[in-house]
Amino acid sequence: MARREHQLKIGVSGIRGVVGEFLTPALACAFAQAFGTYVGPGRVVVGRDTRASGPMLQHAVSCGLLAAGCEPVDVGVLPTPTIQIYVGHTRARGGIAITASHNPPEYNALKLFNAQGLFFNHYERSELLDLYHQTEFRQATNAEMRGLSRDYERPEKLHLERVLAHVDAERIRARRFRVALDAVNGAGSRLSCRFLKDQLHCELHAMAVDPERPFSRIAEPRPDTLGDLAELVRREHCDIGFAQDPDGDRLAVCDETGRVLDNDDVLALAVDAALPKLPGDVVVNLTTSSVVEDVAAAHGRRVYRTPVGEANVVEMIQAVRAAIGGEGSNGGIIVPAVHLCRDSYTGMAFLLDRMAETGSAVSEMARRLPRYVRKFGRAPYEHGKLGSLMQALEAEFPHAIADRSDGLKLMLPEGWIHVRSSNTEPLLRIAAEARSEEAAEALFRKTMRLLAG
Amino acid sequence: MLQPKALRISPAGLRGIVGRGLTAAHVLDFAAAFGTFLERGRPVLLGRDPRASGVMIREGVIAGLLASGHDVVDLGIVSTPVIQHAIRRMEAGGGVSIGASHNRAEWNALKFFGPRGTYLSTAESGELLDIYHLRKFTLTPWNSLGRLRVEDGALDAYLDTLASVFDFAALRSFRVVVDCCNGTSGLILRRLNERFGFQFILINERMEGVEFAHEPLTNSRTVSLQLAPLIRPLGADAGFLFDVDSDRVAIATDEGEPLSEEMALPMLADFMLPRGPGKIVITNLSTTALVDEIAAWHGGKVVRVPVGRQATIDALAAYRPEQVALAGEGTGAVMMPQFRFVYDGIASMFAILSMMRERGQKLSEIVAGYPRYSILKGELPLVSKQIPALLMELQQKNASGRINVSDGLRVDWPDRWFHVRVSQTEPVVRVICEQRGEPPTALFESLLDKVRSLS
Repeated sequence: MARREHQLKIGVSGIRGVVGEFLTPALACAFAQAFGTYVGPGRVVVGRDTRASGPMLQHAVSCGLLAAGCEPVDVGVLPTPTIQIYVGHTRARGGIAITASHNPPEYNALKLFNAQGLFFNHYERSELLDLYHQTEFRQATNAEMRGLSRDYERPEKLHLERVLAHVDAERIRARRFRVALDAVNGAGSRLSCRFLKDQLHCELHAMAVDPERPFSRIAEPRPDTLGDLAELVRREHCDIGFAQDPDGDRLAVCDETGRVLDNDDVLALAVDAALPKLPGDVVVNLTTSSVVEDVAAAHGRRVYRTPVGEANVVEMIQAVRAAIGGEGSNGGIIVPAVHLCRDSYTGMAFLLDRMAETGSAVSEMARRLPRYVRKFGRAPYEHGKLGSLMQALEAEFPHAIADRSDGLKLMLPEGWIHVRSSNTEPLLRIAAEARSEEAAEALFRKTMRLLAG
Repeated sequence: MLQPKALRISPAGLRGIVGRGLTAAHVLDFAAAFGTFLERGRPVLLGRDPRASGVMIREGVIAGLLASGHDVVDLGIVSTPVIQHAIRRMEAGGGVSIGASHNRAEWNALKFFGPRGTYLSTAESGELLDIYHLRKFTLTPWNSLGRLRVEDGALDAYLDTLASVFDFAALRSFRVVVDCCNGTSGLILRRLNERFGFQFILINERMEGVEFAHEPLTNSRTVSLQLAPLIRPLGADAGFLFDVDSDRVAIATDEGEPLSEEMALPMLADFMLPRGPGKIVITNLSTTALVDEIAAWHGGKVVRVPVGRQATIDALAAYRPEQVALAGEGTGAVMMPQFRFVYDGIASMFAILSMMRERGQKLSEIVAGYPRYSILKGELPLVSKQIPALLMELQQKNASGRINVSDGLRVDWPDRWFHVRVSQTEPVVRVICEQRGEPPTALFESLLDKVRSLS
């Protein structure tokens, strides 16, 4: 039986849901108090994206943190990576970003960070969840109660400094790039303008950069949601177009012809830009395109694969001291030298730097990448369905190299197939990739046929 | 962790020791209940006293109200009367005061006000409590949540109203010492000095969140601690002490004598009754009989109600505003019709100063003009299950007096009365005895012994 869309989810990734009857201030407050109990009394950074429910939830979160004896540091509306960098830099006990990332505006969620400004690892997350369920929170008395403080100035500055330390800013400024920007009226609205115009001297053509207004499009930056940006690029004859998600961690890129690049190609370009500057290998998730392997190989580096999910990629980057990592399909680029988090600003900087260095147009850089074709599909989650599909696939492709760390990924001479269940929605996700349209289509069709039974 | 008797949820609102009884979860739920209870459309005002836990509670109240679709106006740290005044002035939908008034610093509380700035009636609080207990809150969808704004003009607007009622020009030459108990009165009096040229000399003026210089009770004992000894050396005309949210007042005379907390109400009755038209004084069963004697001088009448704010609020609703001269209790909490029947310590102070000015008398001379009443107050630990038997026995033993059983037991004889009741705010039995003239020591001791024998 197909399950209904979850309107509230409390799990190891925190708390997420539709604001109103489902995600209530009482829940957010209790979760924040559990978090405050877990990290201990001290400063906890709290920021948010531009969702209408952000201020209400921020008050609830501050209430819970104060009740646990923590001192909330309000940083206002900021991109998630900016918050993470600030947490790590200021040695706070932890941080909470109030954002549902690329989810629709009626959703909101809490993203939780440890003292280094990193997502909690799996073990920390389940400890916190146990604490939440046990509801034995630290209850500060009046004498133990701390106040609320705020810092609206330093976080943005800190973030941009970190990013600019890893590119040749002078080289970028000298080019006076014409850049189009679609910040979806999200948390990056102000910072992106400041970054591109004031710091990198681009001629900026910005749309949807009013944090007071609702999201201007579907929040997830994908080729099919960025028609307006493509139009803007063409109309203003821009060299490149950037699109962010509401909390500014994901990046999508549009070339100078108005074609929105595949996110895996954006990651590949970023990898190509980063590897000459930084020592170390590359980490991507299982669903990311093989194009990354080809690019890494060209620089003599190897690629590590992890289950899907930013936390998994981050953990592996740490473990192998990688130079760069990311998740292709969702537009995440992680450069640990800047910070161990998905950061659209790092992505923008590296791409502009590469353009300045090579003098190539974006479309040209993308064209030089090895060509792969990917096919994606989804199906409603049903109990046992993934297991039978995995068995059927293995029977169908007995000679494939299998990776079972997140669903099943089969590596074949002509490409690969990856089937898994989503971490955030009751869905099965199906992906196939090959060198040619025909081969990719064949792999995808075969998988979908097996799925249909 | 949590401890017993550190939380009380009642028609008077939510009150408790923060972190021991009162938690963030209570605050969120109560705020959401109040948001569900109030009609939408007009903003809800919010203010707090300086207690450290006030910030946590404020955040929770804001979240709960925004989530239930109300715009919120945060007035910051202000006295309770300022919040009530602002509710009327801004035609707000209601208000919340965060502060535990005369309780120690570790306590905090939420008080709720309706659209006219008045406390909720018992019927209204009952509805609020039902919503709270059912936890069926009306939370609005994500795109119709309330918005918060901050407003800092509430104090000045309140002072403008005070200035229109009292003759500030005539009063500002008084030399007055005030013990602010580290609460909100410091803000108000400093502003009065700045704006109107008053000469209030302030002690314990700095607002504190964690430790007050002394317990912020308004009674003769707290007045005697620091305030009273300063009066004569400073050559002051009077001394006043306010609780943390400035709704209660205690008094010291120009001779440095701390007055009984019972005195504020009779003095104000003496001042207000001749100004008419109201002839009714509403007070509770534990308050001094001096008020009856003074009311009789002016052809007034005292209406006695059970102890507690709620009974007074309900009684007020039973009269037309112009019938009532004032209402209050022997704790220094008094409300006057000019101030829309809001307990207001600062307004009470100005009324007493006005009285001194109009009569051309020193405070000590005014007090000397009243007959002497001696009141004795005691409290003993509560043994709940034995209370009915105790009250019944006392009633039978004292059948010679006039019996009132509307709140525990009060027995009246000419020139003498006692009141034995269970406190609504603390787990104690209170015993109060008063006599015109000398203290009724024997009666008081026998009552205490009787109560003590139960435990």
